[in-house]
Formats: sequence, structure tokens, C-alpha cells
Amino acid sequence: MDLTLGRFLRFIIVVFVLAVIGWLLYTLSNIITIVIISALLAYILDPFASYLEARGLSRSQAASLIFIVLILIIGLSTWLLGGKLYRELSSLQQSTSMIDSSRVNLQDEIKETIPDSSGASLFQTGNSTEKEIRFLDDMENFITTNFSFIVSSQVNLQEKFRGFTSGISEQIVAFIPNMVSIIMVLVIIPFVAFFLLKDGKEMKKQFVSYVPNRYFEMTLNVLHKIDMQLGGYLRGQFIEALIIGVLSVIALGILQVKYFTIIGMIAGLANMVPYVGPVAGAVPAIFVTLANDGDSMKLIYIVSAFAIVQLIDNIFVQPLVLSKSVNLHPLIIVFAVLIGGQFFGLLGMLLAVPTAGIIKVTSMELYIAIRKYNLI
Amino acid sequence: MQDDTMWGNIFGREEKTEYSIYAVLAKIPIFRGLTKREMRSVERILHRRIYKEKEVLFKEGDPGVGMYIIEKGRVNIVLGTEEKLLASLSNGEFFGEIALLSEIPRTATAVAVMESSILGLFQSDLFGLLETNPGMGNKILLKLAQMIADRLRFSNIENQQLKEKITEFEKTTKDGKKT
Repeated sequence: MDLTLGRFLRFIIVVFVLAVIGWLLYTLSNIITIVIISALLAYILDPFASYLEARGLSRSQAASLIFIVLILIIGLSTWLLGGKLYRELSSLQQSTSMIDSSRVNLQDEIKETIPDSSGASLFQTGNSTEKEIRFLDDMENFITTNFSFIVSSQVNLQEKFRGFTSGISEQIVAFIPNMVSIIMVLVIIPFVAFFLLKDGKEMKKQFVSYVPNRYFEMTLNVLHKIDMQLGGYLRGQFIEALIIGVLSVIALGILQVKYFTIIGMIAGLANMVPYVGPVAGAVPAIFVTLANDGDSMKLIYIVSAFAIVQLIDNIFVQPLVLSKSVNLHPLIIVFAVLIGGQFFGLLGMLLAVPTAGIIKVTSMELYIAIRKYNLI
Repeated sequence: MQDDTMWGNIFGREEKTEYSIYAVLAKIPIFRGLTKREMRSVERILHRRIYKEKEVLFKEGDPGVGMYIIEKGRVNIVLGTEEKLLASLSNGEFFGEIALLSEIPRTATAVAVMESSILGLFQSDLFGLLETNPGMGNKILLKLAQMIADRLRFSNIENQQLKEKITEFEKTTKDGKKT
């Protein structure tokens, strides 16, 4: 009886602890994202620090030099690309909010010029926004007549389309006042990453010193094995994203795709997500071309350009970056991306796959070590 | 500038006054010939652990990943379930150095006889040192190779002597049977 009660209590405690961890993860999601990005940055930069150390610099000098060079590179790229990026972003913001506001403006204009008419008949002609509305109306009619089980109020495509477009523009508009917090993040991430790079080894030693004697050797061994596997994987992911990003920007620039800098960067980042990433990277370019030119030949060129970039990635980049050590099952990738998105938004989706890789390698190495040391 | 302040860390570290650790390290053959600065680098990668009386450092069959140096105390190296004593080591002595080169299972169990302060040097840290300070890493590896070569030579001599004893023994038993 006591045994059952004890087990029940233990179960309750475990559930409670898990709930607290989940709540903390959710509440501190912003801070956790900052820490993960900083740690990844420090980890990616670690070989450079080691190289500089081998050249006779102290760890502090090496870390400082790396960050000075990094700041210079970022400063230079901002100076060269910043203006263009800003113009692309604000143009993107304008074009999305225009879809929403053009209807209202048009109706106002019509009412002002022809006060006697209701404006409705004129509104039915000629404009591209009006065409979209008529198309949506036709779609609605088609759905309600052919699928009688759907109530017409449920369809209301116009409302949904408007909601969708204004949603996008609201997100981008909300992005601007958030500049302060973005700058905060841009300062905090390098700051945290710098100290992790400089004192990471000392921190690891400190952490190991708290491990009880019985598990100490095993912990050191496991940490080393994880480092060996993840080092190559994470650095590989970063280098791959960088190469794909640069290649995509160049290819889209040559094809004169609007917003090619942003779309190319997104393609590079999206490439970090296997299977879905390469497709997701090409989708914005296709949409933008469809919306602006509607040129089918250009679409073929864009798809071919992305195919060539992927081919270069598969033939030249992937064998070099040696990221095969962390093989994740496609289902795990899909779930990781969904969970990452749920908890940490778009950034969480990007960081989900490396995080899943870290969790997989850590649990695998821990399990192997526990078996080797006869702890279970 | 204090050692624990943030900027103290960046712009310079004051020399630590833990001379005892250098005195211990200087006795270890693989660290002989290192400069004081290099000794400091070694000290930075060492793990100091305190073991209670009868506490096991490692068990026979565990994967070996590094060597131990006795800073203060005594450690017994025992074999099998009957705990046959192979060696009793004290201050400045070391064991398990072969594990620095390859991850082979421990051939015996190490137990602290009394409360002991032990310094651990591990393969992963040594490999890290080879990356960040190849010159110093080479010095340590060369000493390690020399030590292993010496031990191999000693084992060969011992092996030869045993072989001679066996042939002599076989000879005497054959002679005994004849007479």
C-alpha cells in the first residue's frame, strides 16, 4: 500500500517537475533563443580561437580578435547591403499593406469623383484589385453551389484573404517598433557569445568539477564524444547555409528577381532544415516573380537556378562539411520543426534541426557510456 | 587587478601561487622539460578531485580515458574480485598513462587508501592542448613515447629472462626424468 502511494507521489512529482520545465521553457523562450544562438555562434567560432591560440595568442586575445573581425565584417556588409535590405523590407511592407488598403482608397476616390452614383458599377471594372475580388467571389459561388454541405458564411474568402494580407503587413509593421529589442538582441548575442568563446573551456571544467567522482570520468568522456560529433555537424550546417545563401543571392540577382537579397538570405537559412528547406527557400522567389512579372520563362529560370544551387550543395558542399554524423529521421525533423515553431516561432523552426541533432547525439552518447560503465 | 573580475580575466591573469602543483608536476616524467608557462597550461587542463578513504577511482574493465597523478594521499592498484594488490602509490606518483593514447579498458582497479587529492589528465584535454599548443603537445607526446619505449624495453628484458628460466626449468625436468 505504502509502495503504491510512494510510486504515485513520485509520479506526481515527476509530472510537476516536467510541467514546471515546460512552463519555464515557454516563459523564457526569448532568453533561451538568445542563449542557444550565442552558444551556437561561440561553438562555430571555437576552431578559429584554437587556431589563433596555436599561433601564440592567449584565449582572451584570440576571442577579442575574432569579435573585432566579426564586427568589421558585419559593419561592412551593413554599410554595403544595409540600405538595400531596408529598401527591400519597406517596399515589401508597402506592397502587402497596399493590397488591403487599395480597395478602400478606390471606393473613396470613386465616391469623390462621381457623388451621384453608388460607385458600385464603376468599381466592378478594370482594376487588378477588383479582379482579385471578383475572382474570390466566383470561387465562393463555385464552392457554395457545388459543395452544398458548406455554409456560405463559412467560406467568405474575401474576408479571409483580407485578414491574411493585413496579418502579414501587421507583422512587418510590428517589426519596426521592435527595432529597440532587435538592437538589444544584436548587442546581447555577441556579448554572451564572446564570453562563451573566451571562458567556455573554464566553464566546462567548472561544470565537470561539480560531477560526483563516480560519474566524473564518464561525464568527461561523454562531453568529448558529443563535442567530436556535434562540432563537425553544427559548423557544417553554418558553412552550408552561408554558401547556399551567397549562391542564391548571386543567382537571383543575375535573374533580376525583386527583393533578391532577402529571398537569397532566406533560402540560405531555410536550407538548414532538410527536405522542406530547399523547397521553402525557392517559394518566396516564385511568389514574388508571379506577383510582379508573371513571366513563366523567368519562373523556369528561377527553378533551374535553385536546382543548380542544390546540385552544387549536394556535389561539392555536403561532402566537405561532413554533417552525416547526425542522421535524423525525416519524421523527427518534421516534428522538431513543428515544435520549434510552436515554442519559438520562425527562429525556433530554423534552430529546431540543430537542437534535435544535439539532443540525439547527447542521449545516444549518454546511453552508450552508461552501458559501458555498467551503471544500468 | 583581481583574478575574479571580468576585465581582470580579459587583460591578464595574475600568476597563481599554487607552487605545490608545479612541484608535483615536475616529478612526472611526461612533464619534464616544460617551461613554467607551459606548466601553467598543463595545470589549466588538470582536474583536481578529492577521494575519500576506500573510494574507487576506476574499476577494472571501465573504459580508460586518462591518467591520474597523486598530489597528496595513497592509492592501491588491485586486481580481480580477490583484490590482489599490484602496487601502492603515494605523493607524486602516477598511473593509467597509457589511457592517454588509446581508449582501452582499465586492467586493474584503483582505490584510495586514505583521503587523497588526485590530479586527472584526460585524453580529450591532451588532444585539445595538441591543437592549441602543438609545440608543447609534442614535448609531452615525445616524453610519453619515450616512457612507453622504456617500459617495452624493460618488458622485453623481463620476457627474455622468463623464457630463459622456462628453458632452464624444462632442461632440468628432462634431465631429472632421464636420471
